[in-house]
Amino acid sequence: MGNASRLAIWQYITAIILIAVLTGHLIERFPPVTHQSYEQSLSPSTFYSRLKGAWGIGLLLLAYVALFHGLNGIRGMLYEWLPGRRREKVWDALFWILFIIFASIATYTVIALPAPTLPK
Amino acid sequence: MSKEEKGGLNGVVKTFRNLPGFWRASLNPWLIRVRNHPERLAFVLHRVTGAIILFYLLLHILVTDVPAYHHSWSSWQSLMASFNNPANHIGEFIVAGCVFYHGLNGIRLLLTEFFGVCIGKPERPKPPYIPPTAKSCQRKLLYAVFILAAIFWVLSGLIIFGVWG
Repeated sequence: MGNASRLAIWQYITAIILIAVLTGHLIERFPPVTHQSYEQSLSPSTFYSRLKGAWGIGLLLLAYVALFHGLNGIRGMLYEWLPGRRREKVWDALFWILFIIFASIATYTVIALPAPTLPK
Repeated sequence: MSKEEKGGLNGVVKTFRNLPGFWRASLNPWLIRVRNHPERLAFVLHRVTGAIILFYLLLHILVTDVPAYHHSWSSWQSLMASFNNPANHIGEFIVAGCVFYHGLNGIRLLLTEFFGVCIGKPERPKPPYIPPTAKSCQRKLLYAVFILAAIFWVLSGLIIFGVWG
């Protein structure tokens, strides 16, 4: 990575993906669609079935793309705010460190999520 | 005299050249003049809402990881119970507004900047010169974004505060 125009193109590409996946994620909490109240849509069983089903891959994609889009946006602002070749390397390093850490946490969540115990 | 000018007079290489403009334009929307410049307001709001959404996203990923990290749901359920208060609902409402504005304005930016829709065609700058972008439909698109984002924000408020659904 490196120049500001390339960062902007990645912003557009990730934005196109986000429109589709984020809309799906928001609809998951929309009561007329889920037929559950806003609070009920966050029960452990609903949460588990969402993350462990096929849509879990979509949510993981959403996490990766949203992280990339958000951190890349901040990186673009830092490029403008504190320009310079050496600083840009620092912003690039920070971007990748934060992206890898949070993407790993999101991946771990989907893989290691335990099944909720059903009430007897 | 600004820091930048002092640096210039002392013969020091001018650093932080963009700093005053950055703070003024990106982080303090109350300082900029937006009268007749709704695009400027849209630009600043896009950055501010983007920063808020990123902060929420990082927290959201951490909170979602709680049951996997603790290998149990009890800690997550107690965390969710602690979030069920008016202060947190107001926070969610602010984030929802940010998401709707940032998303809709993002679609507008994709259309105008990436696909070149609604920006008009280049023309000779004859006086009184009005840039084609100001005459084309991109400004209507911008007002549509403001109105739609406000409508979606109100609807999300009804859901978050339990009035609807």
